[in-house]
Amino acid sequence: MDNLLPNLLSFPPHPPPPNPISDYAYDQGIREQIDYVRKLADSKLLQQTSGGENVLDVINPALNTVPYTFILLANISALKKGTKGVDMEKIWGKMTTFLGTFDPRQIRYLGDQLSDILEAVASIAVTNRQPWVALAPIREALLRLDPTGTILTTSHLALVRLALDSHSYNPVVPVIEKLILYFPGTTNQPRPKYICDMSLNPMQYITPASGLTQKLKYQDVLEYFLYSGMVFIGLRNWEGALQCLENAVTYPAKEGSVSKIMAEAYKKWVLVGLLQEGKLLNLPRSTSSNAAKQYHTLAKPYETFAQIFESGTASRLKAEADQGLTVWQNDCNTGLVLHVLAAYQKFQIRNLANIYSKISIPEIVGQTMSAETGNKLPSPQAGEKLVQEMINQGELHATMSTSPGQPSVVTFAVSGPVLTEVEMQTELGAATERIHALTKEIKQTDRMLTHDKDYIKFIQKQRKNARQGSTGDQGISGPDMDWGGDVEDEDIMGGLY
Amino acid sequence: MSQPQGAPASPTQSRGKKSLLVSDPPKFDLESYLANYKGRTRLERLILIGTCSSYLGVEALKLAVKEAKKGKDIKRYLEAQNHLETVGPQEREAARDKVWMDMTEKQNQAETQRLEAELKGYKNNLIKESIRMGNEDLGNHYQAIGDLPRAFDSFSRMRQDVSMAKHIIDISKHLIEVAVEQKNWVAVSSNVQKIKGVMVPADEDRTLQPYLCATDGLALMDSGEYYNAALRFLQTEAGMGTTCNSIISPNDIAVYGGLCALATMERNELHTQVLENTNFRTYLELEPHIRRAITFFVNSRYSACLGILEAYRTDYWLDIHLQKHIDDLYHLVRSKSIVQYFIPFSCVTLDSLNAAFMPPGKTIDKELAMMIQRKDLEARIDTQNRLLTSVPSAPRSALQANTLETAKEYEREAHRRIQHMNIVAADLEIKGGKRMGLAPIDDMFDDGRQLRSRNSGANVYPGGF
Repeated sequence: MDNLLPNLLSFPPHPPPPNPISDYAYDQGIREQIDYVRKLADSKLLQQTSGGENVLDVINPALNTVPYTFILLANISALKKGTKGVDMEKIWGKMTTFLGTFDPRQIRYLGDQLSDILEAVASIAVTNRQPWVALAPIREALLRLDPTGTILTTSHLALVRLALDSHSYNPVVPVIEKLILYFPGTTNQPRPKYICDMSLNPMQYITPASGLTQKLKYQDVLEYFLYSGMVFIGLRNWEGALQCLENAVTYPAKEGSVSKIMAEAYKKWVLVGLLQEGKLLNLPRSTSSNAAKQYHTLAKPYETFAQIFESGTASRLKAEADQGLTVWQNDCNTGLVLHVLAAYQKFQIRNLANIYSKISIPEIVGQTMSAETGNKLPSPQAGEKLVQEMINQGELHATMSTSPGQPSVVTFAVSGPVLTEVEMQTELGAATERIHALTKEIKQTDRMLTHDKDYIKFIQKQRKNARQGSTGDQGISGPDMDWGGDVEDEDIMGGLY
Repeated sequence: MSQPQGAPASPTQSRGKKSLLVSDPPKFDLESYLANYKGRTRLERLILIGTCSSYLGVEALKLAVKEAKKGKDIKRYLEAQNHLETVGPQEREAARDKVWMDMTEKQNQAETQRLEAELKGYKNNLIKESIRMGNEDLGNHYQAIGDLPRAFDSFSRMRQDVSMAKHIIDISKHLIEVAVEQKNWVAVSSNVQKIKGVMVPADEDRTLQPYLCATDGLALMDSGEYYNAALRFLQTEAGMGTTCNSIISPNDIAVYGGLCALATMERNELHTQVLENTNFRTYLELEPHIRRAITFFVNSRYSACLGILEAYRTDYWLDIHLQKHIDDLYHLVRSKSIVQYFIPFSCVTLDSLNAAFMPPGKTIDKELAMMIQRKDLEARIDTQNRLLTSVPSAPRSALQANTLETAKEYEREAHRRIQHMNIVAADLEIKGGKRMGLAPIDDMFDDGRQLRSRNSGANVYPGGF
């Protein structure tokens, strides 16, 4: 091993040269090194140093990602084969640290290898019946690979599936809260010269060809949106869920076809919309009209339920929820429906804040109904508890004052939460920044579309037609053309003077 | 029809009852009221009063029966007589006059045949003017015997043979009259437009302008556009006199215009457009209480204004055109009064509002809550200290919040558009389309099933159940 090490560590040069090496040199260097390491047999990679140390302890994954990756893979395959002397605990530790420390520039050349390691991490976690331990390392790896998180990869999908399987939602939030803008498999794009160019947009180096992701099908994309929505639902983060589900609901579809996944997402979207806004939301403008039509027929019970929530009474809502029990069960939405029922009275209480500035608990109890029972709350105490709960959770901007012998009095804050000037400034600043970032993405998309081969062909053809047209139809638009020629002549003359 | 029902004391009570029955004595005198009108509308109004007022019912129906017998409309006679039979069977007029009916029936038939034959003759001779007049006669006859659809048709047919602008005006006037009785307000306003189209600016017929304003106003009022109706009535030039009395009287102009304006206009507007309007003043003088009510409103004496209106509610319930709208109009005036009353204050006790707007012993709480809910009133109720407090307006923070919301909306939309473009660019959009209709769903069903089986385990936890 010792004789191999200098070669293994030859790239990137250490310590880094004062002038960073050019993209060209970097590309050359790393490709050579990968070729070299790839040719080494696993047994060689598994050798220990003369000091009896494991090579994985010697090489720094953050600096020499290439050799580390291959050695790690050799270890993993050894582990699978059950070779003696490979400690699973140790390898697991190495894998997880590797995923959190690898060099994001070098890893671009190691797509297949990275995918293998991610897969290994997931499968080890699953076989050990601890799927949740794999979530954080995979998440870290995805975020290191593409800090913007705007491109969807097959690993994303695997990650949310794993999260749902393991019932642990929090670890994946940093990944799923990123806006997905790009998808691998965009065809007809010019290839970047060097994928090590750090100014590249993630969609230029994360491609099926790089091995960092596989080609997706539309079902995969929809599933990712639906599942990330479900993760947010699990966290009771209604806003996040709404966004993710909306991505699925508005998925572009041609010629009136709708995927079942979209319909499923729509059903959840209706319920989550109730929880977030208290009403049946309007479909986003970008929903395809045919999909909208299909949704209305496919998700009729949900829409009816939402309408009753908006304008009906608690008892009707309860009756409707009971009536549709099998529907909710078949769609696995019972939990959400129960949430909606629980939220009904809270929305009513919040609406009271639009009418009253001060009101006593018995009056609240008298004016609102619980949809969970279809009746008024049994006692003022129950009402007090509910209001207290809402205030504590920040769902109601109000204060409650109790005086002995008198019913408690709720005072609503008149205009909701008021941001201070400073908070407002930061909010506005953040919004501006986000929009700036988005503008960049818009430019990127625009660039991508104008560089599409088909589009360029189309433009060429158009130009050609235009040119042909100018010479071809002289018979028809003769005088016009003559006149045009005259003008051109004059221009030329004008230039001469 | 016969269920006893007192005048609803509160505007919050449900409106638009089909069989309204008013037991309070109205302020007007039946004879003089009727003297304002001529033609078929007299009969119509009498029957309405007869069926809706328990106080004037019998008297009105007796007059109606007499009135009907003067004319040729058997249906109307029967209607009046039937009502009278139920309300006051002991009256002499309550007995059905079979002889008169048979005789009229025969006469009507003979007249119809005669006129139709005449018209046919004219048509054969191809004399345009005669055909037009024949149609007019026939229309008049149909209108008189109560066959309104045919009357409308006959008058419409006159249009084929017009030779001057005056004819067009005549036709439209006939049609308006029939349409008003039919309550066909679309036809009314379309005919008003037709007259306007041919009207010469220096028309010597000064009565035409009031006529058009009045009928157009009626049409607008009936469709609930009170503000536009008010403008129309207010534009009515003086000098209507009795020219429109087959439809509407100058008093009605004052009442309708005044009430619509009161319900929809701001105080300044009321002052300039209504009280200082020289044209409308001549009408307003006929109904001084409307003028008083408006003056009170302009001077912020809302309870006095509402008091006057309340006193005349019975009268307006018995008005053929106002009946359907009076509750709405009063409600608007009332809401507006409450809003206006509250404007100068940041905080008002509910008791003072009760004193100003409610009869003793009733509270205004519910009504206020409803108004706030409908966003008519920017205020909050404090049930503990019994106060109505205004909402402090915070334009700065409202604008900021609005800006953030807009930015967010933009972000979301832009994000989605980019996403969609890239989905299409990556060739990932859903392409079904081989089968039409619902089939695409089936097409996708396989994924769905797959999804569900995968979900059946995975899908349960979100929500925690």
